Amino acid sequence: MIVEKIFNKWILVFLFLIPVLGFIFEEPYYITLTTKVVILGIAGIGLNLALGYCGLISFGHAAFFGLGGYVTGILSFHDLNSELIFSWPFVTSGSSEMLVIWPIVILSSAFLALIIGLLSLRTTGVYFIMITLAFAQMLYFFAISWPNYGGEDGLSIYMRNSLPMINTMDPLTFYFICLCWLLIVIFISAKLINSSFGMAFQAIKQNEERVKSVGIETFKVKLLVFVISGTITGLAGSLYTDLNRFISPSVLNWQMSGEIMVFVILGGIARLYGPLVGAAFFIVLEQTLGGYTENWQFWLGLILILEILYVRTGILSLFEKKLKYEK
Amino acid sequence: MKNKILNIKNLSKSYGAFKVTDEITIDLHFDEIHALIGPNGAGKSTLIKQIVGSVKHDIGSIILDQEDITDLTDVERAKIGISRTFQVSSIIPQFSAIDNIVLSLLDKSSKTFQLFKSVRNNKELYSNAKKILKEIELLEKSDISASDLSHGDRRKLEVGLALAMDPKVFLFDEPMAGLDESGTNMMINLFKKIKSNSPILLIEHDMDAVFALADRVSVINYGKIVATGTVDEIRRNELVRDVYLGYEI
Repeated sequence: MIVEKIFNKWILVFLFLIPVLGFIFEEPYYITLTTKVVILGIAGIGLNLALGYCGLISFGHAAFFGLGGYVTGILSFHDLNSELIFSWPFVTSGSSEMLVIWPIVILSSAFLALIIGLLSLRTTGVYFIMITLAFAQMLYFFAISWPNYGGEDGLSIYMRNSLPMINTMDPLTFYFICLCWLLIVIFISAKLINSSFGMAFQAIKQNEERVKSVGIETFKVKLLVFVISGTITGLAGSLYTDLNRFISPSVLNWQMSGEIMVFVILGGIARLYGPLVGAAFFIVLEQTLGGYTENWQFWLGLILILEILYVRTGILSLFEKKLKYEK
Repeated sequence: MKNKILNIKNLSKSYGAFKVTDEITIDLHFDEIHALIGPNGAGKSTLIKQIVGSVKHDIGSIILDQEDITDLTDVERAKIGISRTFQVSSIIPQFSAIDNIVLSLLDKSSKTFQLFKSVRNNKELYSNAKKILKEIELLEKSDISASDLSHGDRRKLEVGLALAMDPKVFLFDEPMAGLDESGTNMMINLFKKIKSNSPILLIEHDMDAVFALADRVSVINYGKIVATGTVDEIRRNELVRDVYLGYEI
């Protein structure tokens, strides 16, 4: 456990160093790439709370990621065009202020997770997987058929949303904004996992019937975990839209849910830093193998199969073993 | 009625044409251990499941401490004071023994939804958990993962989880199965001690333990209660001997 903690600290050191080196050597590409790792890592950490720690195999987290992205995109789009979003029942205009957008993203993602959770958590196993997938696909097809916001072509926002006195258009500055969010999300997740509530949801993953028998309302616990998980993933979606200054229905598709799940599985299920490592590995693989072949995902599939057959607990556990051996 | 803490009337459950429990009427008095015995498949564990609410009954009523709990869910019944052990050990395998007990203490201490405070820094919870582990003679194994405990220790931990809830009644489903002599003796002494606070409905195949513990015994066969009485009355009952053909009682 101590070895894993040391390794986790090294991950944070690397997350600090790589973009700084990218800045020094004038390679903004690496800053953007690391920003993507951090954002997708946040999405993975969100899913990991539900999937890794509570055993809720959600195949619909793209819904939250996409919602966060679209809320950001729509608010920004209306602000840039000086158009109202609604004029009835109350006047609602857009905003390009991150400090306005983030709370709206957090509230809307939490609300969507609450609705999906209330309906889907009454089921278990494959039914839960299918219901969460169905919700995400509903949103995907809705976004495709919504011409106001670009439909299938997506929505460009041209200018990154802003923070007072900070130039968010600067790649390194935006990176550190994302890194701050990552640290906040890791802090919150660590607190949750080590709390009484965390004890309850980790126990539910292992033996829900026993948890019920000691008087714990497992439905409420699972619902709250699902809402927190969806909210974190929604926040990641918001940052992703700002990173790319573009949002399209593809982030709502089941493939996105699958990718977030792959980050969790690759890095290590129920390991705090696992999804971050998984996202980094995924992106490095995409960038390196993607340069040689369009079908790089074949190799990703092969790696996943080998991992599930021989490692199971993710890349982090591999490092843990190696470090222990060296010690 | 006043001396009954648990009163079950005409509880029935059928799967198709097969009646698992057939109009069972049974009660549990304050300060008593009421043993429920019968052959395998007689309906004992199904009755426990119906009382805790994990299996829905077809007809009948369940009164706990003069409150009708028939329509409550399993979690609500646990909250108001029904604590059980499972026939097959049901613990949280990746938790240590002490964390299993702490989990069981959470609801009573209203700590389940405490989101950001480290549970391991809660000295009160862990000190109470240690007291329970001491009672079930598992204190020295408190930090061992529950999955690494022996079968006997898991049975003890099951009872510990039930104790931690400080319930109105205990429903123990074969708590002594697989225990060695010292383990069984520990359980017998423990049950004698706790029954004054929370009476026990006990399912057990170890007849020596049943006769050492029970204030009353009911015999169930093919989902029906065929006899109820004191230990001596049950020992002398011809029908019970027939039901238990092959068993020495």
